[in-house]
Amino acid sequence: MPACQHAWELTNIKYGFVVFEKCTHCNGLRTYFSHEDHPMIGDTYREDKCSWTCMENAQSIQFDLQCANCGHLEKFQDLMGFLYCTQCLPDCKVELLRKEYELKKSWAIVAFGFLPKNETRPFSPERLQILTDYFNQRRDTSRSTITVLSYDLIEDFSRCKGDFIHDVGMLSLQPQIRKTPF
Amino acid sequence: MTTRELIEKLNLKPLVKFEHREITGVFVSDMLSDVMAGAKSGNLWVTVQTHKSIVPAGNLVDVSAIIITSKKEVPQETIDLAEKHDIGILSSELPTFELVGKLYGLGLVTR
Repeated sequence: MPACQHAWELTNIKYGFVVFEKCTHCNGLRTYFSHEDHPMIGDTYREDKCSWTCMENAQSIQFDLQCANCGHLEKFQDLMGFLYCTQCLPDCKVELLRKEYELKKSWAIVAFGFLPKNETRPFSPERLQILTDYFNQRRDTSRSTITVLSYDLIEDFSRCKGDFIHDVGMLSLQPQIRKTPF
Repeated sequence: MTTRELIEKLNLKPLVKFEHREITGVFVSDMLSDVMAGAKSGNLWVTVQTHKSIVPAGNLVDVSAIIITSKKEVPQETIDLAEKHDIGILSSELPTFELVGKLYGLGLVTR
């Protein structure tokens, strides 16, 4: 029996908030998805010696992908969101690939996992390909395509000025101060 | 209907040069997360958002164009990014409610 030519569709869509927290004790960063009311920016709580402060929260979605042909479910609950490269670091591997793909009319976006638990567990090439296939199956690929890259290509998050495709700071009437996402 | 025809019918102002496309339907939202979850390829996206993040979000779901309502001023960085991605940004003087009524009157619906 030939392998299924998967036709991916969004399923299990959940709306909520991606929360970014920083600890003033260990300088750690962590992000998580909250389905409930989001914490206010500046809210602080203690956890042993750590003191976690909410730095940012953004309305977002969680989803899985399911094949309309065979029903195979691919879970993406560990996907924090997508970041688009703002070409901030000329030597960054994402920027080098972005330039390469742009010549082929393909737009590169970076799939991010939650920190810190996904920091050492990047998305597998197979799962990145599934995300890439999902976006390309639903678009007019004669015009352009999407290529989903892994966030572990970014060597130093603290220098990255890429922008997440999240609902944060969208209604500000004043220009936002440029800052790194982490 | 194409984006070129729509511009003429509704007196929309194109803010970028882009390749005109067939419109498959309309999606109205001011939330990127909503657009990513619900908009379909070729949809017109109607919003008041002007932040440059609308461009990668619109590109990801392959919208035919983004209509900014209420004559809101669009930052130059949004226009530059849209031109680079060949995403049409059209400005309307009408508020969202009125514009959507006119789109519906032209036979364009959510699909």
